[in-house]
Amino acid sequence: MSPIDVLLLLALAAFLAGIAGSFLGIGGGVFLIPFMTLALGIDIKVAIATSLIGVIATSCGAASVYVRDHLTNLRLAMFLEVATTLGAIVGAVVGLLLPGPYLFGVFAVVVVYAAAAMARTRETAKDRAYQAGEESPLASRLGLGSVYFDQEDQGVYRYRVDRPVAGFGISATAGLFSGLLGVGGGFIKVPAMNMLMRVPMKAAVATSNFMIGVTAAASAFIYYSQGWVNPNFAAMVIVGVFSGSNLGTRVLIRSKAQRVRFVFSIFLAVIGILMAIRAAGIV
Amino acid sequence: MMHPRAGLKAVQHRIGALRRAVVAEVEDTNRLIYHVLRGGVVVSVSFILFAFVLRGLGGADIPPNSIAVRNLVPELVRFTPAGYLNLGILLMIFTPVARVVLSFLSFAEERDRTYVGVTGIVLLNLLVSVFLLA
Repeated sequence: MSPIDVLLLLALAAFLAGIAGSFLGIGGGVFLIPFMTLALGIDIKVAIATSLIGVIATSCGAASVYVRDHLTNLRLAMFLEVATTLGAIVGAVVGLLLPGPYLFGVFAVVVVYAAAAMARTRETAKDRAYQAGEESPLASRLGLGSVYFDQEDQGVYRYRVDRPVAGFGISATAGLFSGLLGVGGGFIKVPAMNMLMRVPMKAAVATSNFMIGVTAAASAFIYYSQGWVNPNFAAMVIVGVFSGSNLGTRVLIRSKAQRVRFVFSIFLAVIGILMAIRAAGIV
Repeated sequence: MMHPRAGLKAVQHRIGALRRAVVAEVEDTNRLIYHVLRGGVVVSVSFILFAFVLRGLGGADIPPNSIAVRNLVPELVRFTPAGYLNLGILLMIFTPVARVVLSFLSFAEERDRTYVGVTGIVLLNLLVSVFLLA
């Protein structure tokens, strides 16, 4: 492949990742890193640094629309960002020190987990309005509860945030993986917020998407300062993700998200297996 | 034809409505954050495209490694494609940081001490990331 071919393919992949990201509520890193390393033969650390820039672009582009529409829980995001940024800094430093094959191995495990998290069940209005027991004192002190308008069933849901401490811990882990592997970590945070902290799915997706920008910024600059960001690759990814997520939010119809999600989870499982093979050094 | 005075009034009315709309956009923190994030991406993409134009006009090759911030200014002064490409990427990285600064100011304005503290810690973490290995 000529260098120009590599750049054009990368821009195309970023474009598709931008569409998928805006549609599925993920940063697109789980898709971009395997493509860069397995298909384009780019060094995994360069791929991680480049992908982080793409994650920031997705977060600023698609996720900003959720902020405008008041889907994002800004307080919850800021509280959890304390954990994700710390995790991301540690993750980036560890990522710079770890040899490539280990990174492939960790990525394989994380992607298979993401595949399982993607294939989740549909949420009902009853789930969205779920409130039982006492509100935790910390959640009440921090005013984490919020209200959102669900466009699908035209309902306004007031929700509470449960188990803030556990959510904080999981966010630190998500941040660590973000810095270590160059992904957004939405596939860790969204299920945790939804199932553990009882945040309705759409608010969880919007809040996670909002958080990944700051999380990725905390580690992206570390990679940048060490010279790992390839400006040509990063430019292709920014331009590709920017146009892809713009198209994604405009064209795609939300009702079909469930089916796309299922196909995507199978796709991720295959990527996980390929990355595991690469980690084992067979290919 | 419209009377000049009526015309002036209509224009004043339009400007007033426009001003109120702008104030509403700025006062709603959510909308302001939306504009900062979108604006950051647009400015970043603009610099990247500018770098491509410079390259197309016969600028020097772009090296495969990021340029350290302290070495960036001379590149920008000489209008090298690599300089503006790296600037675009750095602006992308710092767009979410600008968003956190904005949140900090808006919590301070609301005198929400708890969240001024929480946002302050996030900013501190980001500062650590900037100066850790730089």
